[in-house]
Amino acid sequence: MSRKVVLTGFGCVSGLGIGLAQTWRKLAAGEGAIRPWRREAPEGHPAWRIDGPAARVDAEACRMALEQAVGDKDDLRPLGQLDPLSLHALTAGLEAVEAAGLRGHPSLARRTAILIGCGSGGNATMDQAYERLYARDLAKVHPQTIPASMISAPASHLAMVLGVHGPTFVIASACASSAHALGEAMHMIRSGRADVAIAGGSEACLTLGSWTAWSAVGVMADDTCRPFSKDRKGMVLGEGAAVVVLESEDHAQARGANIVGELAGYGTSSDAADMTAPDREGIETAIRAAHEDAGIAPEVPALISTHGTGTRLNDPVEAAAIRAIYGRSLEASTVIATKSAHGHLIGATAAMEFVIGMEALARGAAPPVLNHLGAAPDCDLPLALAQASPGAVPIDHRVVVSNSFAFGGLNAVLIGRLPS
Amino acid sequence: MEGESSGMTVSKEAILGVIAEESGLDPAALRPDATFEQLDIGSLDVASTLFIIEDKFGVEVDPDKLDPHSTIADFVDLVMRLAPS
Repeated sequence: MSRKVVLTGFGCVSGLGIGLAQTWRKLAAGEGAIRPWRREAPEGHPAWRIDGPAARVDAEACRMALEQAVGDKDDLRPLGQLDPLSLHALTAGLEAVEAAGLRGHPSLARRTAILIGCGSGGNATMDQAYERLYARDLAKVHPQTIPASMISAPASHLAMVLGVHGPTFVIASACASSAHALGEAMHMIRSGRADVAIAGGSEACLTLGSWTAWSAVGVMADDTCRPFSKDRKGMVLGEGAAVVVLESEDHAQARGANIVGELAGYGTSSDAADMTAPDREGIETAIRAAHEDAGIAPEVPALISTHGTGTRLNDPVEAAAIRAIYGRSLEASTVIATKSAHGHLIGATAAMEFVIGMEALARGAAPPVLNHLGAAPDCDLPLALAQASPGAVPIDHRVVVSNSFAFGGLNAVLIGRLPS
Repeated sequence: MEGESSGMTVSKEAILGVIAEESGLDPAALRPDATFEQLDIGSLDVASTLFIIEDKFGVEVDPDKLDPHSTIADFVDLVMRLAPS
């Protein structure tokens, strides 16, 4: 009996668009979603001002897509108030399950797990509640504040809409959350605890409070995201969700599913060193562990989807780790950094990048690294840069390595492969 | 009552609008004789509705005066009785 873990459906939502088709169209054309985000301060609150780049989801289009996917709006009633965190997860999750042909399938009820990675809970809902309390001195907040904003709400909401009764929870490891979610989901299937897993990540952190907190860390760019580039200034926040349907190969074959790939390897490590600075040893440990788990040697040419935040610290440390592991064989591989297009989706970013990586393999085209101003002396990598035309760069790889390295030194690396 | 409300005038239609919005039900489904239980409006939906009523109209309703067997008409009457004339 094979417990190989195959992929049968993808869904995603980000500033690039609602759904994988829209997302890929933008990526293939070399278009990004990072735009200036400005909010003037209202009278009496000069600090309530936002001015910087961000990659925001079209909330109305997302809501419409969700209602269309659900079919009957009444089915959303029991969910109560939906924070954008859940809105994103539901829209991407339903797309993935629909693509997998699993809507209404009996396996959803008992033999399916839901693992969603989130960096933080429903920031918009909490911001609204705290604004009443702190700024307007109102003692009462909306009674739905807790159920709508709790970090596990997206997992509960997906389970309710899909009728999933199996293991369902959220995994939080900051920017690696959804890599851990996919990896742990893979292990659940390998170990026989589930036949199907709906796994991914969701984030909705573009609020005044969250924005201000992120700005204080000192890692945000004031122009755009330029991974591995000279004159890079930092990361740019995005938002959205990406969800993958994973199945045991046996389960997928038995129901005649269209198998679009395999989650072949997962490596994870903890730096145990610093709350914000990356650690080369920890990163290398996770990448090597993923290769070992997949049984794929680092010498095999691959699409390498970097964490590539565009921050001063991440990029040189990640570049050095990649150089150390892949050595000269790196020249036959292709290195991408798609945060330059969709921004940093924090808890959702790893799943988004894994989905994009798999799509790139299937289409034989790598989304170019955007906003690049020329090689940075401390980041020596063969990047997929747009050459003659602004669009995707042709590739011929069967393997994607997708890196995620979170604040707090929590690393997770996924290796996906096209079906043989 | 909290110190801030938008000061909107209370009307039966406005109250029904808030119930529909907070429960996610079509306003046409809110028959006067239907109970919260029959309409599948749970206690959290009722609490949310009372919260918005208080915010919009400045009318504070004691939730203990309502239960799952309260009808839409009971709810509307209660709010209208407490509303400043």
